[in-house]
Amino acid sequence: MTVLAHDWWPAEVPENVAVDESSWLYSSFAFIHHRSRREPSVRIAPNSWVFNCAHFDLGPDGELEIGEYCNIGGVVICSNGRVEIGDYSFVGSESVIADDFAPFPFDSVDEPGSPGPDTTIGDACWVGRRSLLLGGVTLGDGVIVGAGAVVDFDVPDYAIVAGNPGRIVGSKPPRSTD
Amino acid sequence: MAAQESIPSPWDQIPLPANVVVGRRCRIEQTHAMFHSYRSTQQPGLVLGDDVRVYYWTRFGIEPEGHVEVGDGSILAGAVFMCAESIVLGRRVQVSYNVMLLDCDFHPVDPELRKLDAVANSPAGDKADRQPLVSKPVVIEDDVRIGAGAIVLKGVHIGAGARVGAGTVVAKDVPAGAYVAGNPAVVAAEELPALR
Repeated sequence: MTVLAHDWWPAEVPENVAVDESSWLYSSFAFIHHRSRREPSVRIAPNSWVFNCAHFDLGPDGELEIGEYCNIGGVVICSNGRVEIGDYSFVGSESVIADDFAPFPFDSVDEPGSPGPDTTIGDACWVGRRSLLLGGVTLGDGVIVGAGAVVDFDVPDYAIVAGNPGRIVGSKPPRSTD
Repeated sequence: MAAQESIPSPWDQIPLPANVVVGRRCRIEQTHAMFHSYRSTQQPGLVLGDDVRVYYWTRFGIEPEGHVEVGDGSILAGAVFMCAESIVLGRRVQVSYNVMLLDCDFHPVDPELRKLDAVANSPAGDKADRQPLVSKPVVIEDDVRIGAGAIVLKGVHIGAGARVGAGTVVAKDVPAGAYVAGNPAVVAAEELPALR
């Protein structure tokens, strides 16, 4: 049983959620629609932030792993698959990571259905506010997703993707001068 | 951890407004904010059908003359209604997260009239001097799915079984069974991989 010392919501963090002591989770409110029975279902590595309005609406087979030194804003992660966020990544508020275009919370831990697709966000990604990552995408390392972009395809390392429908509009590899 | 059939809400087990009609087996994750902008004086002002699920992020912003209906078996994950006249959803409609449904622009398009509206609507202004609302009803037929972050604007009619892609801004009618995506919304020739 884990109760966050600073929590405003009168609930515990679910038992199958593992948050490193050095990371900061805003509230157990993030788990109001958490239906995952995986062990662990959510793992947050050291030195990361999970802020207000983040919601982990995982289905019975949903898993989430957040790496080190991440800044996770108020994102809704609604998946029955595995969602992996690498180290040093930023995810903006009001964005949605989901298995399909019109997700809604899973009803119960016993909801029938097959596991969803896997979503992977690489290291040092920067996912803009209100963006939508749908249908099990893979973002390489250092990817920038513009605010409000709709991404339903895999994005290579250091690419910049923007727009609705999303498209690759540039790239920003390490130490590039432009 | 056991499944929570409804979220525990120790502080806002507030009664629903008297002119809200709720169907059988309807589940509402009610919060104070959900009805914060509910001002409908219609009888009824809001109808939720049987087996409707309404999740936490949903907001029923309904003006005094406004009326919202949600058909049987529909799911509202995060539907923000801004209704001045009428928004009607059919049966088994699925509305995803961060979706806005509006039947009115709520301010005049004419810039001079909009200035007058801003003055009347200011903190010390007289709300009685506000410009009249120009609304057009929104109708969303049975089995429509509305993707995350979509915005449906006034006067739009979405035909049965249509799908509105994530993030789409819908300002024109959508034919039954069509799939629209993008901003501005276009009828997509190919389905996005996320739909398969």
